[in-house]
Amino acid sequence: MSALIIHNDIVHYEVLGRGRPIIFLHGWVGSWRYWIPTMQAASASYRSYALDMWGFGDTAKSKTRYTINEQVSLLDNFLEEMGIGKIALVGHDLGAIVALRFAEKFPSYVDRVMAIGFPLETALINDRLKANTPVELGNWMLNGIPGGEAAIQEAAKVDNDAILATLENISDLNLLGMVLNLTIPCLLVHGENDQAVTIPPIDTLANLNDHAHHIIFENAGHYPMINEPNKFNRLLTDFLALAAGESPRNLQLKEEWKRRFR
Amino acid sequence: MAKILIAEDERDIRDLITFTLRFAGHDVIPTANGEEAVEAALRELPDLVLMDVRMPRMTGYQACEQMKKEITIKHIPVVFLSAKGQESEVRTGIEVGAVEYILKPFAPDQLTEKVKAILEKYR
Repeated sequence: MSALIIHNDIVHYEVLGRGRPIIFLHGWVGSWRYWIPTMQAASASYRSYALDMWGFGDTAKSKTRYTINEQVSLLDNFLEEMGIGKIALVGHDLGAIVALRFAEKFPSYVDRVMAIGFPLETALINDRLKANTPVELGNWMLNGIPGGEAAIQEAAKVDNDAILATLENISDLNLLGMVLNLTIPCLLVHGENDQAVTIPPIDTLANLNDHAHHIIFENAGHYPMINEPNKFNRLLTDFLALAAGESPRNLQLKEEWKRRFR
Repeated sequence: MAKILIAEDERDIRDLITFTLRFAGHDVIPTANGEEAVEAALRELPDLVLMDVRMPRMTGYQACEQMKKEITIKHIPVVFLSAKGQESEVRTGIEVGAVEYILKPFAPDQLTEKVKAILEKYR
């Protein structure tokens, strides 16, 4: 287990591969662990970091740090401690909010953002996230789905207060504005059958500028990286391969791709 | 879960195998050549050795032969990682004492499954 100390508390992370840095940020239910297959795929060309945010996985359950801004500060401190320069951010629900908020606050540090299951409006978030325990939520979204075991197991480590605090906190944020104001490439990804965050309405998506693009996985729920890993990894690889500042508008889902040891 | 020794000279592949097996719950000892692998095997007494064939300082074959001469580790199953199209390597590997081979290329999840099956077979 790799860890560092930030504000006298343990922050857990893992890293794999060499190349330009990518940071993976998990969502409300789970921890860094469900990024493992994605990290394996990305590590062929990139240095992939995944960390547990405050209250999740093996990072400290530090209740005073459960706001979005504190999670953003965690990422900022992590990058500073690790000496990591300009990054690509890949975030899932809560992780997507933190990624976009970070990009809004520190635009010069971020090269591009992939936001999966990002709620463009708070009304799109299922109330069940506030009502159920993390384990119940994990079973609801992932029970019986191949590859979902890691997220369900790690749900038991989540401090429910970390979910509730961030859910309350996001009502203060202009979520759509976070995407519209970006001047770097942003790829929004949703699963067609997402139980936790409803796909944004077409008229909302029509407001996206040339920096942003929206892709739907027709056979996925809230975890496209688990539901359709090969297709997801191919999309991520294509997104990361865009030249700096290039619009992601031409990206589309392609044939499945799987990294192999050679 | 098992203690698994990896011998692979290509760093990216070694890191990826280590990462894959570690987070499948195994205790992984990575080494970069045959000589290091023999030393680590004598010291760590792993449950399984996964070894590339072509490595500097001491090849996988030579390392396997050394291991099979050591009384404390000769029982440990050795598995070669061998490239497709190099089937002659497989034969030589079995002749020097390996019990199985895994043909490259293979995906991380395939490696995890294959290792699980090998451990169940030889434990």
